Amino acid sequence: MAEEHPVSQTPAAPPAAAPSGRPQGGRPPGPHRRGKRQFLRKKKVCRFCVEKVDLIDYKKADVLQSFIQERGKILPRRMTGTCARHQRWLTVAIKRAQNIALLPFSAEL
Amino acid sequence: MEERLYDLIFILRPDTPEAEIDKIIATLQHAVEEKHAKVEKVEKWGARRLAYRVKKLREGFYVYMVLRSSHGELLKELERRLRVSDAVIKYLTIRLDEEVKRKEKLGRRRERRAARRPKKAAPAAGAEQTAAANG
Repeated sequence: MAEEHPVSQTPAAPPAAAPSGRPQGGRPPGPHRRGKRQFLRKKKVCRFCVEKVDLIDYKKADVLQSFIQERGKILPRRMTGTCARHQRWLTVAIKRAQNIALLPFSAEL
Repeated sequence: MEERLYDLIFILRPDTPEAEIDKIIATLQHAVEEKHAKVEKVEKWGARRLAYRVKKLREGFYVYMVLRSSHGELLKELERRLRVSDAVIKYLTIRLDEEVKRKEKLGRRRERRAARRPKKAAPAAGAEQTAAANG
C-alpha cells in the first residue's frame, strides 16, 4: 500500500506515525523533507559555558564523574557537548583527579 | 621571584591516629613557614573511598592544603617529607597560580563586557524603551 505513491505527498501516514515514535531502523516513509528532519538533534550546549566556569576544579569529583564513562574513559566532546576550551580544561582536571585517586584510571574488576 | 600558588593533597592510611595526622600537618606547616611561605588553608577531608587500590588499601584519609610560596625548592622538600613518611600512601602537588590568573582574567573580561553591552545596546534599544514608556 505504501509503495503506491512514490512521488506524491503522503498526507496522513507519516505525521500520524511521528508522535508515537517510529519503529527503529530504516528510513521512514514520506517526503524527503521528513526524512531529513530525522537527523536534526537537540543541540547540546557546553555545561561549563552555561554556568560560566572559568576554572574547572579537579577536586569536585562528583562533577567530573559525569564526564567519564563507566569504565573510566573520558567522554568525547561529541557526546557531552562540551566546548573545545572547556574540554581541554576538563581533561586536565580529570587527569589530576585520577592522580590523587578521586577518579579511577579504569574501572576495577 | 613571584609568588606561586600550590595545592597539596596527600592521603594517609585510614588507620592513622588523629594525633599522628595532626603531627604530620604541623611538621609540614613548620617547614613551610621556615621558608617564609604561607599556608593559606588546611582541610581535613577525612576518610574517603579511593577510586582504585593504593598500597592495597581501598580507603584513605585525605588532607588538603593550599600554599603560597615564592620558593620552588619548598615543594621539593615537602614532597620528600611526604615520600618518606610511612603513613602517607599518596600525595600530589599542583601549581595553580596560572590557572587562577587565567580565571581572574576571564572574570574581568566578562565583567567588562557586561558593563559595555548595555551602553552599546542603548541607542538601538532606546527607541523601543521610550516607545514602551510612552505607551
